[in-house]
Amino acid sequence: MGIRDIKSIQGAMENSTPKRKDKIITEEEAAGFLRNGMTLGLGGFINCSHPMPIVRAIIRRGIKDLTVIGPASSGLDLDLLVGAGCVKKIVSSYFGAETITPISPMIKYASEQGELDIFECDEGMYYAGLRAGAQRLPFLPTRAGVGTSYPEVNPELKVFSDPIKGETLIAVPAIRPEVVFLYAGYSDPYGNVQHVGTSYGDRALHRSSDKTIVFVERLVSNEAIRKEPFKTSIPVADGIVRSPFGAHPFSSPGFYLLDKEHLREYVAAARAYTMDGDRRLFEQYLQKYIYGVSSHLEYLEAIGINRLLSLHEF
Amino acid sequence: MKGYSRDFSIQELNATFLSRQIRDGERALVGANTPVPRAGVLLAHLHHGPNMIVCLARTRTNVYNEQRLANFELSTDWRQARWAESYYLHYELFDAFDKITHIFSVGALQIDPYGNSNLIGVGKDYRKLKFRGPGGVATASAATDLERYYLYVASHDKRIFVEECDYISAFGWGEGRDHRIRLGLPGGGPQYCITPLCIMDFEQESKRMRLHSIHPGVSLEEVVENTGFKLIIPDHIPVTTPPTREEIRLLRGRIDVEGILRK
Repeated sequence: MGIRDIKSIQGAMENSTPKRKDKIITEEEAAGFLRNGMTLGLGGFINCSHPMPIVRAIIRRGIKDLTVIGPASSGLDLDLLVGAGCVKKIVSSYFGAETITPISPMIKYASEQGELDIFECDEGMYYAGLRAGAQRLPFLPTRAGVGTSYPEVNPELKVFSDPIKGETLIAVPAIRPEVVFLYAGYSDPYGNVQHVGTSYGDRALHRSSDKTIVFVERLVSNEAIRKEPFKTSIPVADGIVRSPFGAHPFSSPGFYLLDKEHLREYVAAARAYTMDGDRRLFEQYLQKYIYGVSSHLEYLEAIGINRLLSLHEF
Repeated sequence: MKGYSRDFSIQELNATFLSRQIRDGERALVGANTPVPRAGVLLAHLHHGPNMIVCLARTRTNVYNEQRLANFELSTDWRQARWAESYYLHYELFDAFDKITHIFSVGALQIDPYGNSNLIGVGKDYRKLKFRGPGGVATASAATDLERYYLYVASHDKRIFVEECDYISAFGWGEGRDHRIRLGLPGGGPQYCITPLCIMDFEQESKRMRLHSIHPGVSLEEVVENTGFKLIIPDHIPVTTPPTREEIRLLRGRIDVEGILRK
C-alpha cells in the first residue's frame, strides 16, 4: 500500500469516527441561556471569583425578575444586579463586602423599600437547600435556626418534628437553579474545570443545577488537566467561556487581587442614590462599564490595561 | 502588677481576653471582617497553642513557627493560602462544623439579655425594615452546633443591647434557664460577650447576662447607662485582666504588626 492509500484510509476514518466535542462557547452563547423570570445561580464568595461577564450581560440585556441563587456569602456582584433592576428575589446569607462596605448598599435600599424578596437563611440552611436540590429531594433538615426568627421571616422554612427521634428541626426546601454560572482558574476544552484554591461553594451550586457554565481565566490542554486530575473541581461543565480577568473587579485566586479602587467607585455611586436619592453617578457607572460596551473585552478596555496589570503587583 | 503591660489598647485587651479562652490543641476559625477575634485566635496559637489548627480564608494551618503574620484586610484575600496545610470547601463547615472549628465569634446589630443576637435587620415590620442588616452568615449554625461561642461587638450602646431583639438570627440562651436543652440544641451556647467597655458572662442558673469585668478606665455607671436592659451586677466587679508584656510582644511583633488594633 502506498503512502497515498494510507492517507485516504486515515481520512475516511476521521470522517466516520465520532469525535469528542469541546464545550467552548462564546460570551453571547452563554448569555443565550438568560430568560426573564428564571432562577439562576452565581458562584464566588464575597470579594472573590464572581463570574462577572455574565453579571454584566444580564444587565446589558435588560433581563428582569430573576431569582438569583447567589453565593452563600454574596458580594457587590449581587448588589449591582439588584441596583440595575434585574432581580426579584435573592437567596444568600450575607450581603456585604467586608471593609469596602459592611452592607451591600443597593440590596439594603431595595430591601428597606420592600422592593426585593430575600430568602432569609444562614449558610448552613443555604447549603441544605442546594444539597436537597442536587438529591432531587423536596427538602433537607437543619437544626440550625431552631428557636430563631428565620422560620418567621422566611415562610418557606418549615419547623417540623422529625419522625425518627421526634426532634424539632427545620425543613429547608430544595434550591434548584436552572443554570449556574461560575468563575474558575482553568478548564480544558472538554469542561474539566480546575479552581485555584478552595472553590468556596461553587461545587454545591454546580451539583444542584441542570446546567453549569464556567467562565475561566485560562483555557488549558487536556494533558495539563490530566497531569493533576485530583485538582479537577467541576468535571462536567456544560459550557466554558474563555474570560481573562473574568472576575474583575473581584480577586481571582492565584491570578490577581481585587480592584479596590473600582469597587470604591461603585460603592460611592450606589450610595449617592441610596443615601441622597441622586441616581446619576450610578447610571454613569452602568453606562461606562456595561451599556456603553458590548463585550467582556470591551469592558476590559474601559478598565484599561494599566489598572488591570497593576492588580498583579502584590 | 508584675509581668502585665501598662501600654495596651482596648482592642488588644479584648483580643487577649478571647485568646485566654482558647486551649492548646483546639481548632479555631477566623471569620470575615473581624480583626479583634482574628488577633485573639492567633494570639492563643502563638502564646499557648502550638498544637492548634487555625482556619484562615478557607485554609487550615498551623503557623506557630511563622515569624510574622501579615494582617490581610479581606477574608477572601487568597494570599493567606501561603500558609495553608489544607483547603476546605465552604459547605464542609456545615457537614461537620467541629472538624473545622471549636469556637466562633458572632457579631450583632442587637443582643438581648440572654445573649440572643440579630444580624437580619432592625424594625418591627420585616417587609419594610428600618435598617437592613448584612444577614446571618454562618452564625445560626455556629450558635446551634459549636461547643461554645463568643459575642463580640465593636461598640457598646443601647441600640445594640436591647430588652428584645427585633429578630433572632443566632440563638443564645433563648428565654434563659434550660431553653437550649428543651430545644435539643447540641452546642454549648454563648460564653462571654466582649465589648469596648466590659466583658459579660451569663449567670449559671438564669442564663441572664451578668457583668464579668470592666475594662480599665471605664466606670460601672458607663456600662449600665449604655446597656438597654438590666444587667446582673455582682458584688465584686474586677477590672479586666490586662495583657502581659509577652502577649503584647506577640500581638505587636508577629500578629498585628500594622497596628490595626491600636487605631
